[in-house]
Amino acid sequence: MYRPTGAVEAQEGGGMTEHERDDRGPGAVSRRRGQGELEAQVVTALRQAGGARTAGWVQERLGTGLAYTTVITILTRLYAKGAVSRERVGRSFEWTAVADEAGLAALRMRRVLDAESDREAVLARFVTALSPHDERLLRGLLAEGPGEGED
Amino acid sequence: MGVFVFLPLVLPLTAWPVARLAEHHLHPRTATWLLTGLSVVLAVCSTLSLALLVVVGTAQLPGNPLPDAWSDPEVRAAVPYDELAGRAAIPALLAVLASCGRTAWHHHRVRRRAARALAGLPGSSVVLLPDDRNAYAYALPGRRGRVVATTGLVRALTGPERRALFAHERAHLTGRHHRFLLAVQLAARANPFLRPLRTAVAYTTERWADEEAADRIGSRRTVARAVGRAALLSGGAPPGLLPGLLSGFAAAGPVPRRVAALMGPPVARAWPSPLSGAGLAAWGAAAGTTASALASANSAVTLFLILKAATPL
Repeated sequence: MYRPTGAVEAQEGGGMTEHERDDRGPGAVSRRRGQGELEAQVVTALRQAGGARTAGWVQERLGTGLAYTTVITILTRLYAKGAVSRERVGRSFEWTAVADEAGLAALRMRRVLDAESDREAVLARFVTALSPHDERLLRGLLAEGPGEGED
Repeated sequence: MGVFVFLPLVLPLTAWPVARLAEHHLHPRTATWLLTGLSVVLAVCSTLSLALLVVVGTAQLPGNPLPDAWSDPEVRAAVPYDELAGRAAIPALLAVLASCGRTAWHHHRVRRRAARALAGLPGSSVVLLPDDRNAYAYALPGRRGRVVATTGLVRALTGPERRALFAHERAHLTGRHHRFLLAVQLAARANPFLRPLRTAVAYTTERWADEEAADRIGSRRTVARAVGRAALLSGGAPPGLLPGLLSGFAAAGPVPRRVAALMGPPVARAWPSPLSGAGLAAWGAAAGTTASALASANSAVTLFLILKAATPL
């Protein structure tokens, strides 16, 4: 896969944020809430296409009046998460879906959980992290009981 | 009100013994309710006392918005060491309010971000995320609670262990455990002496869900295995913990204690005898909490009467 130069990414990134700020019109609130949903829609569209497509194609396919730069924003964000890959064709990129909607949700979820600490956790996780001492204790406990030796 | 106004600030210490003993000697549901209740009452009383001290303290500051009459010598005489206590209470109260606000906001934000992460997926009550490298599961409370688990975790567990996992997460949702967690986190922000209760409740809610799951699937041992194996899968020490340096004298963490508790005999639902250690600790905490409530109520009434007398109407 062709890796774009940092300069191209930086240029694109700068353009995006500026555009996002411009876009805070009446619909900005609902669009912010729907960010995850938009990402899912873009991934779905690319998966259905079954091959590499341009941002223009994605924009047309979604057909919800999204600005071209918004589509680029979403695609670049998905690229950063590893949910889509891209390839330079001529002067623009063509995008291919790598993950599906569920895979995308998994990537997003991972980021939410990585930011959480056990001590002040909001989402009660099934298990918390183990110290090496805990791990030894736990292996001992699990090995103790009768008929427990299959792993 | 005299020295009484300071009591609610330190009386949370009386809940420490029960916070230590409850997890072994009480049923986790009883322990969760008891410790959360104590935390909330003690935190409210402590914050009220702080606010009363602020009233007396601010009255001395030039340019404060309180009535001039409130800085009468009689008002200031109501609090011992009024100058020092009053001055210290102002930043303390501001810190408590800011800290509680931050915790509440953090809760709101994490839950919103988690819900947003799942946007675009069908609205089933169980969400299975295709992630083989990370093994985790959690309950996402909301209007319609959802259980989220990764393929990495679910595939590694046997059928009965999976049922145990989902029963555990459902128990969190039906028991509304996130509310207990938020309550004790806010309380710990209001008075740092309440932090051991926060840690204890984080543990007892997990134990509560473990016991509910054990009842549901009819095997404590299966739940123990599910918890233990899931922990080994998710594995790894948290970053920042130096292996070898701390592990030698570290006490057992929550997961081994949960597994050990499930492998032991079931906990009785009855209260422990008032003469046992846990019983005495519970009585001690109850007495401390009552004293805290009485002291803060007494101080509030006294200050109200003094201020009313001092204010010309």
